[in-house]
Amino acid sequence: MFLFVATYGAAMSVSAQEKVVVDSVVSANRAGVENILQGNVAGLRVKSWSGTPGTQSILNLRGLSLDPTDKSTMPLILINGVPMIASPSDVTGINPLSYYTTDQIERIEVIKDIDRLAAFGVQAPNGAINIIMKEGKSGAIHISANAYAGANFQQNMDSKADAFYNFNTGARRQVYGNGGIVDEQNLMVDGNGDYGSYLFGLSNYQDKGYIKGTSSGRQSLFLNAKYNITKGFSAQFYNNFALANRDGRYAGEYSRDLTLPVTGDEGFVMDKKRNVDLISSMKLAYQFNPSFKISSVASISYDASSRDYYIPSNLLDGNIHAFSATIKRQLVALNTSLNYLHRFNDYLNLDMTIGNEIRGNDDRITSVDGQRSLESGGSDFVKVVTGYNANQTYAYSDHEMEKIVSFYGIWKWNYKKDLDVNMVLRTDGSSFYQNKWALYPALGVHYDLNNALNFPVKANIAYGKTGILSKPEVYRGQIGAYGDYYGNTQLGVGLLYPAFQDAKSVSVYQLDAGLTFNILPSLLDISVNYFNKIYKNFTYQRYLSNISGMDYQYETGGSLGLAGVEFSLDGRWFNNRDFGWSTSFNIASYKNKVRSLPSDIQSTSLAYLGALSNGDAVTSITAYQGGQSKIIGNSEAKAFGGISNTFRYKKLSASFTASYAWGADVATESFTSTYYADLVGNSFPIKNAETPYYFTTTDATGRVTYQGMRTIENASFIRLNKAAITYHFGPILKRLASINDLQLFLRGDNLFTLTNYSGVNPEENITGIRKRDLSLTGTPLPSSLVLGLKLVL
Amino acid sequence: MKFWKLIPVVLLFFLFACKKNLTINLDNRTVAEGYYDSPQKFEQAAVGGYVDLRRALVANYAFLMYGEARTGDLAVATDYQPAVVSQKLTSDNRYVKQLTDWEYFYDVIHDANDLLDNINKADNSILNGYKRNLYKGEALALKSYAYFYMARIWGDIASAETNNFGKHLTNQEAVTLASGFASEAKRLLPWRLLNDSEIESAALTNIRFSKTSVTSLLAHEELWLGKAQDAYTLLTNTFTTATTDSLSDFGISMGVDRRTDIPQKPLDAGVVSMTIDSLNAIYPAGDSRRAGMFNISSDGKTATMIVADATILPLITKRELNLLFAEAAWRSGNLNAAKTYLIRAATGAKEDYSTLTDATFANALLKERRRMLVGTGQRVFDLIRLGKVSTYIPAFTDADVQKGAAYWPLSANSLKGSSLSQNSYWLSKK
Repeated sequence: MFLFVATYGAAMSVSAQEKVVVDSVVSANRAGVENILQGNVAGLRVKSWSGTPGTQSILNLRGLSLDPTDKSTMPLILINGVPMIASPSDVTGINPLSYYTTDQIERIEVIKDIDRLAAFGVQAPNGAINIIMKEGKSGAIHISANAYAGANFQQNMDSKADAFYNFNTGARRQVYGNGGIVDEQNLMVDGNGDYGSYLFGLSNYQDKGYIKGTSSGRQSLFLNAKYNITKGFSAQFYNNFALANRDGRYAGEYSRDLTLPVTGDEGFVMDKKRNVDLISSMKLAYQFNPSFKISSVASISYDASSRDYYIPSNLLDGNIHAFSATIKRQLVALNTSLNYLHRFNDYLNLDMTIGNEIRGNDDRITSVDGQRSLESGGSDFVKVVTGYNANQTYAYSDHEMEKIVSFYGIWKWNYKKDLDVNMVLRTDGSSFYQNKWALYPALGVHYDLNNALNFPVKANIAYGKTGILSKPEVYRGQIGAYGDYYGNTQLGVGLLYPAFQDAKSVSVYQLDAGLTFNILPSLLDISVNYFNKIYKNFTYQRYLSNISGMDYQYETGGSLGLAGVEFSLDGRWFNNRDFGWSTSFNIASYKNKVRSLPSDIQSTSLAYLGALSNGDAVTSITAYQGGQSKIIGNSEAKAFGGISNTFRYKKLSASFTASYAWGADVATESFTSTYYADLVGNSFPIKNAETPYYFTTTDATGRVTYQGMRTIENASFIRLNKAAITYHFGPILKRLASINDLQLFLRGDNLFTLTNYSGVNPEENITGIRKRDLSLTGTPLPSSLVLGLKLVL
Repeated sequence: MKFWKLIPVVLLFFLFACKKNLTINLDNRTVAEGYYDSPQKFEQAAVGGYVDLRRALVANYAFLMYGEARTGDLAVATDYQPAVVSQKLTSDNRYVKQLTDWEYFYDVIHDANDLLDNINKADNSILNGYKRNLYKGEALALKSYAYFYMARIWGDIASAETNNFGKHLTNQEAVTLASGFASEAKRLLPWRLLNDSEIESAALTNIRFSKTSVTSLLAHEELWLGKAQDAYTLLTNTFTTATTDSLSDFGISMGVDRRTDIPQKPLDAGVVSMTIDSLNAIYPAGDSRRAGMFNISSDGKTATMIVADATILPLITKRELNLLFAEAAWRSGNLNAAKTYLIRAATGAKEDYSTLTDATFANALLKERRRMLVGTGQRVFDLIRLGKVSTYIPAFTDADVQKGAAYWPLSANSLKGSSLSQNSYWLSKK
């Protein structure tokens, strides 16, 4: 019984959706920490855009970018407070958030308020997510194990309604299919005593997904140990070492459009992706006296991704293609801080932290890419690629480094327990900047009205600034190698563009205001938060006149706005010995807009925003109608959120989390309406059945193509993301094996989706446009069902 | 309280943050700042100018389209030469449009100006006297050549110099600017370039500017400006018997351009040819040179050029020197000397040039330039300089030429934001 209450109590701490206690929410069968958060945090949009196992869902926490395809809206991800390399590498695309098993995570803090974010400066313009790992529980030794297995399947593969591959379902059936196994096994050992605490474990995860002939997996070892050296001096070590792999295929994955009804023999295809990832941190803390503490954390995050790839000639019309690429990314950080508590009098206290952080990124990439046609007399399935020479093989290597040195100060004033004032000041110096330093201040006021008004409400307001670093090439300028000379022995080099002397970070000004009601402390919490972010000074390219000798130079300007309201409700309706029921609900409604754009925008790299005026959403989908560019939709949802319910009846518990989003539009390109503009007299539509909207592309020869649109659809949906039924055997076999709890569970992911969208998954399009060739569109998102057993000794 | 001893260590962490610590010297990056730190890198930048010049002249067979392919002397097997030879230069064909765009030439000027800036910034430990002079001279020569070429294609052009960027330059102003650069380059460039082993290299000199080629260029520019006496003085003072062994040709080395697909063999027999009628008209029977210059096809209908070295596209040749001497002498009133130079130049011609007069000299000179310089793209420029456009391009009347027909129209991209406008002839053809 104790366990039920403990589990249930944990569920209550989801209060205000700022913190997710992982054991209290339904876990996901798909790897990736973001899948646990999906639907559970007000304002955190987790878009499951692809069904390929190991893919990172798109995370957006009050983030906005000028470019809908880039990753710059990714929040800062921390592991026990230290930064990690969290975005997938371009080489393998394997999600670094999949290196952790749910079982090793204690809780996840979601940081949205500016008076906490400003302390991260230029690292956290889009919020921060801090993943706190479990530590050893009190007692000499505990062992826990968890294992489950199940299968992936798809429910809505209606071939008659399949607009996804131009009704070419033959090839799709060959590529996608039910039955891919998903399974995980974890073992953890932990303990806690005067010496400190320890937790170590190992994990194995496999997911064969929904794409036939592919597989993915992850193995990891982890350690979280704390050692009390003396009474005031402690050291903590955290390590997670993971190997991740994914074997892909050609048709349906590398080549998405499946134009032929049958796919070729892929017996000789090789597509091996392998990641090696380590995150390691060491924290030393010394408590001089009750009010004075010093701590220092050193951390290394390392991610090596490699891909080896070979496509035989039977698939490439007589050509063979091989490439191999490796990207190694490392992030070293050292954060030292002094913490001082000062009590001025009975009413006024100060909690002050000043610190210094040093961060260094170092990324290297090397790739070799070769292609050749089949030699006469060769086999269609030549696997060994021989005879490459310098003219057929492209080699590439690149090296990117960045250093950031920061100082920060956080002053938390507390008056009479009612009023908190947080003052934050951070200064970031980046190796990218010409003028090295940028300043990020913030001020927040939190007031608990319970004493003054005798009403259980807390109000908060904060204002401050963060920043977004531009890409390194902006700060540096670039030299290009143009061509060979003198019998190919000399290389002609020239300036692509000079270093941008006025380069600066995008300034992000954020205002937060919120109210939290604890209507009945044990029954209902309601929280409403408003935020308003203003982005200023984006860096973009200004195209130059053709006597300049350079195509463009950089310029800063433009301004965007993002504002929203987030609402969350946590209700604990019943909680007695036999029965419990709790609900968490959240909804967020955001609106982004253009505040100002550069003048003569058609001569800039932002020309694609040329149809927008001030006040229009920057995420608008624009297309042509009768030669005029106009807005036909918005790729961002008007509102999104989730609802979770947990029921308990005696030893049986059931939970589910549903997520939803409404109001996002998808423009779907037509498979048949593709025309050369000159052949159709530069007019569109051609057929009555076509919508009047079209996109245009210009090929290398200057020829314009019109791509008609099949539909503009509403991609609103509600999805049952995660659901689990658990039977708790409770303590059994006490004498033989001292099992404290044994749980049997049945868990499902993505069990059903209600939507009118004509494709497989309403979230599958990254840009809100389903291209004809399905680029920037994910693979079908499968459902899965697993049966598992969890054992706590 | 021994842990107080940790405090200095902590303070050390704080002291990490100085500006120097935030400066990263990347080892293998091609970034703009601080890149030019060795003579090799300057050399690559100079070569970058030649690579851009190659793109300007060779992409879409531009050097021929501006020259012999426009007058019809040479046929270039492309789908756009018919538009060019029929003077439909405002055609919608994308290659013709590219030919009306001057961007590639301004890229050369930008390279040169950039190189000059970097040379001025480099101290003597990076660039010594010879290399400093060489690269500076090459940059100036490249710039001069690009301005001169553009002035001959478009007439009036725009300045890309920092002191008057974008300013409308009349044809005279543009060529005067170009001749100033060539004059300075002449002072700096050696007769022969040194290779990596610091030995004089004829092969290297053949594909980079040297004193020979830049002097020819300067003489040519002065002739264009009507300063024949200056040209004559320049030529006679520079090319003496003492320098005979130092002369060299100048051409562009062929190779791959990573941005634009350029013809690797721009005079290849498969693409560039002359009808047998043209050949017979230009090189009458008895001209002993034509057998060494052309192959006749087996059906006897076409002639193709014999290319001695396919890796080089000749631009300023030694064989042109006597022609320049002849023109400079004639136009500065030394007809006898001019005839001597022309006869010396035209060895193998069957005509008797010793009887030429002031009135007949121009045609003879034009004829020999046409014969001897075929494939170097100068035909239209010669017609303009000697005032014979309407004679040899029958599509144009004298009135058309007055309105600017001999020059090329400007592309929309070149006109955009420019201080120039389309000349009245091409404006009427829109």
